[in-house]
Amino acid sequence: MTATANVTMPAGATPPASPRDTRVKRRKRGRFGDRVLPYLLLLPALAAILVLLAWPLVQVLAISFRKLDIGQLVSGKTVWVGFANYTNTLSDPEFWTITFRTLVFTAAIVAATIAGGLLLAVLMRHLDPVVRIIVQVTLVLAWATPVIATTTVFQWIFDEQYGILNKTLDRLGFHGFIGFSWFSSGASTLTVIGLLIVWQAVPFVTFSLYAGIIGVPREQYEAAGIDGASAWQTFRAVTWPAIRPITTMVTFLSVLWDFNAFAQIWAIREGGPDGGSTTLAVVLYLKGIAGNHFGAAGAIATLMLIVLALITGRYIQLLVRTPEGGLK
Amino acid sequence: MKRWLKLVAGAAALTLATAGCAGSSGSETAASSSGNAPLSGTVTVWLMTGSAPATLTDALNKEFEAAHPGVKVKYEVQQWDGIQQKLTTALAGGTPPDVIEIGNTQTAAFASQDGVLTDLSADKDSFNGAQWLKGLADSGAYEGKTYGVPFYAANREVIYRKDMFEQAGIAKLPASNDEWIDAIGKLKAKFGSDPDFQALYMPGQNWYALLSFIWDNGGDIAKADGKNYKATLDTPEAKAGLEFYKKLVDTSGTKAPKDADEAKPQQATVYGAGKVAMMIGLPWELPTAAKTDASLTGKTAAFAIPGKTAGQTAPVFLGGSNLAIPANSKNVAAAKEYIKLLSSAKYQSQLAAAGVVPGTSTDLTGLDKDPLGSVMAKASANGKAVPASPKWGDVESGQNPVKDMLTAYLTGKKTLDQATADANAALNKLIGG
Amino acid sequence: MRKSLPQRIALSVVGVLVALAIAFPTYWMFVTSLRTPGEILSPKYDLIPTSFSFGNFATALGKDNFPTYLMNSLIVTVGSVLCALVAGTLAAIPLSRLRFTGRKGFLVLVMVAQLAPVSALFIPLFLLMRDAGLLNTLPSLLLIYFATTLPFTVWMLYGFVNGIPYELEEAAMIDGCSQTGAFRRVTLPLLGPGLVTTSVFSFITAWNEYLFALVFIQDKPKETLPVWLASFRTAFATDWGGVMAASVIYAIPALVFFLLVQRKLVSGATAGAVKG
Repeated sequence: MTATANVTMPAGATPPASPRDTRVKRRKRGRFGDRVLPYLLLLPALAAILVLLAWPLVQVLAISFRKLDIGQLVSGKTVWVGFANYTNTLSDPEFWTITFRTLVFTAAIVAATIAGGLLLAVLMRHLDPVVRIIVQVTLVLAWATPVIATTTVFQWIFDEQYGILNKTLDRLGFHGFIGFSWFSSGASTLTVIGLLIVWQAVPFVTFSLYAGIIGVPREQYEAAGIDGASAWQTFRAVTWPAIRPITTMVTFLSVLWDFNAFAQIWAIREGGPDGGSTTLAVVLYLKGIAGNHFGAAGAIATLMLIVLALITGRYIQLLVRTPEGGLK
Repeated sequence: MKRWLKLVAGAAALTLATAGCAGSSGSETAASSSGNAPLSGTVTVWLMTGSAPATLTDALNKEFEAAHPGVKVKYEVQQWDGIQQKLTTALAGGTPPDVIEIGNTQTAAFASQDGVLTDLSADKDSFNGAQWLKGLADSGAYEGKTYGVPFYAANREVIYRKDMFEQAGIAKLPASNDEWIDAIGKLKAKFGSDPDFQALYMPGQNWYALLSFIWDNGGDIAKADGKNYKATLDTPEAKAGLEFYKKLVDTSGTKAPKDADEAKPQQATVYGAGKVAMMIGLPWELPTAAKTDASLTGKTAAFAIPGKTAGQTAPVFLGGSNLAIPANSKNVAAAKEYIKLLSSAKYQSQLAAAGVVPGTSTDLTGLDKDPLGSVMAKASANGKAVPASPKWGDVESGQNPVKDMLTAYLTGKKTLDQATADANAALNKLIGG
Repeated sequence: MRKSLPQRIALSVVGVLVALAIAFPTYWMFVTSLRTPGEILSPKYDLIPTSFSFGNFATALGKDNFPTYLMNSLIVTVGSVLCALVAGTLAAIPLSRLRFTGRKGFLVLVMVAQLAPVSALFIPLFLLMRDAGLLNTLPSLLLIYFATTLPFTVWMLYGFVNGIPYELEEAAMIDGCSQTGAFRRVTLPLLGPGLVTTSVFSFITAWNEYLFALVFIQDKPKETLPVWLASFRTAFATDWGGVMAASVIYAIPALVFFLLVQRKLVSGATAGAVKG
């Protein structure tokens, strides 16, 4: 999606915004009730986020400077170790390789997810109701299938000896595929895992974008049709402006989730072969959680948070800097 | 308020006790950890799924409650998935279980931490300490103190098809590495025309089998160096073990993946399809296979993993569990009584009858009636454990360098020297220092 | 927009093909649930099954107290979804429609709260629940699922409210509605698809959560379905047919939930067409 000519910022980096919001109601009367109202409305969400997410996050940061193995956890003793957990993690030469791999992997599956979701959402708008419901049901099924089942099913499909994929390829004349291992290198293992993650992530993106698309008043499409716009022009002029905020948002969310993805990667090959499909989330589990080294886990999680904040920083920054407090 | 009430109740119970008219049913707060006072309260027991049959635990809990009328047993079966996290938080929580089962390769990680498990060194005798299974007892000890009581163990053996051996003309069961290779040759000569046939199903990462071969050649994965461990995968003995593993894979022409272990795909299910003559596995894999083809039960028997020297079986890895009491258990006395009853000959023989090697009894007759069990029982005498390093759990929690070494060597990606050197370095990083 | 018949047929064919591709892994799960263990790993070519056995479903349904676990899962999941929707909508309105100090700060907080990997929060959350005396209770799970899906809900609903033209509300207000009334009668119905999408998401996230469900709950009768699903795996053998059958059963409530709210997705669209 290219940005319109007069926009210098990448389209994907703009915060969700509606051009009409400039006329947002300004309450100048300043009654006490009016001034308090927004805070009252925010209170439940704010309280929950502060207590159940922000406070634990602060604690993770504190724990990252401690030694917190099961012994300390049981006894309740606090043992400060300074930056030891960080130096241990960062001194491993593998760390940067893994960080780079995680970033490439995240970028690839986010791109595939968003592209797939966008195509499907647009397709759904054009489908007959019956076919559309069929597509929607398959999407929900893909989404609702528990991870323990999907990871297993994917392993069966890709099994070198009994997998339906290799057997089908063999039938189609590619006899070399019987006994071919899809998990022999980190790259091909990550490709299979990526396919699995994209498959389970596409439904959410599709439904979000589809919800955005059907929010567009039908008259706008009809007007475009009367003007003789091509499908692509209609998309550019009508659909895209309407779903851009949501697209930006689901991209941002996909980056967060895919960067932190763990269950699928772990279940397929535990980050193997030879560490080839290890991502930062796998390191967090392996070096931190699995061995009950929660101090180390805290340090790795903090580093992951920093990396993630760096990637998404532009987005957050734009949101904060937008004039009038982001109500662009 | 509640605490205050409890205090009053406790004081009341105490008065009654000193007055000498306390009944056997004391209140929960009167729980005493001293030896002779009547036990009371609740004892929470966490055993893992599949460890002991329900008939055994039902009888055990009933007998325990009958013998200690003041105590209620809260028995719960736990899942393996995520058990590490569950145990960790349970031990740190306000109401920890009183008796827990810990996998033997995990025990050291818990035992090595101060104040996590109760020191049971003084109670060994009451748990039938003289008859403890050595490989398991080692895993439950840390720096000379005992924290884990052996519960049960199992070890691998070669599970084979009697009918196929007979048809291939193998009169005598393989008793040495050479005879084993020889038998594979005979099976292939007889059944090799079937493209789906596998004389031996051998996935590339069955590292417990590799342990046997390394031990058989006089090597080990790591050796103790003072308080620490040093990996010894690059020794000639370990290399000899790897070479034999490759020889088995190459000779048998197994179609099993070289980059997965016996669980991916589940080897018992492959055996169940009826085209496999042998697999290295545990006795209870047969029922899984028999789900596909019930006739396999009658056609299957086992022999011990052969050694390099004729007539000497290879040492085997003892997988299993220990029982432990969390240090902050509220009812240590009752927990000890519970383990004592479970360690008694009566329940140990029931464990044997259920098909595992009991941890606190040398009486293995319960296993005799099962052909697979009896072979396992005999081989267990030569059972060994992985290094009792508190860091060993990190090796098995995933990305085991020994598994990566096997795959790299078997697929030809690395030479034997390279593969062992790399794995040695990786293992040292995990458990060394 | 009217389309010609050949166009409609071509589109339908594409739609069906896409549906088939997306459905394949789910289809494979379902087919496997009807297979005996021997058929799961078979060298035969078995894209379309020739025999069916319902034994796996019998095993799955007969295992432990399925209804109890189902009930627990429903309580925790539906409870957390409702809480998240209410708190999320309440927060999205001022964020999108009103101007106040601290608005930016709150948005940043919502974003940063989502950055952390949930597995890293596991110990602090455990300590929190322990100290609050909520361990081993269903509310502990409800609270956690509520909190973990909340930033997402706020964020999505904020986006959806932003996407609804404010003119519509203004027009309603000119017609005599109060601001609240305008929001309730105009924006809220248009928010339908957004509410549906976010609730399906929250539902599935909460429905599938395993780690907290395993660790925070100690009493069997309080466990939820993901823990039940894991019980098909023992140290020695996994009953894969049973796992697949259980997974099929397990996915049904999420599907039912979708079908229930799916109508809203359509009515939301109509509302948009009529009132836009």
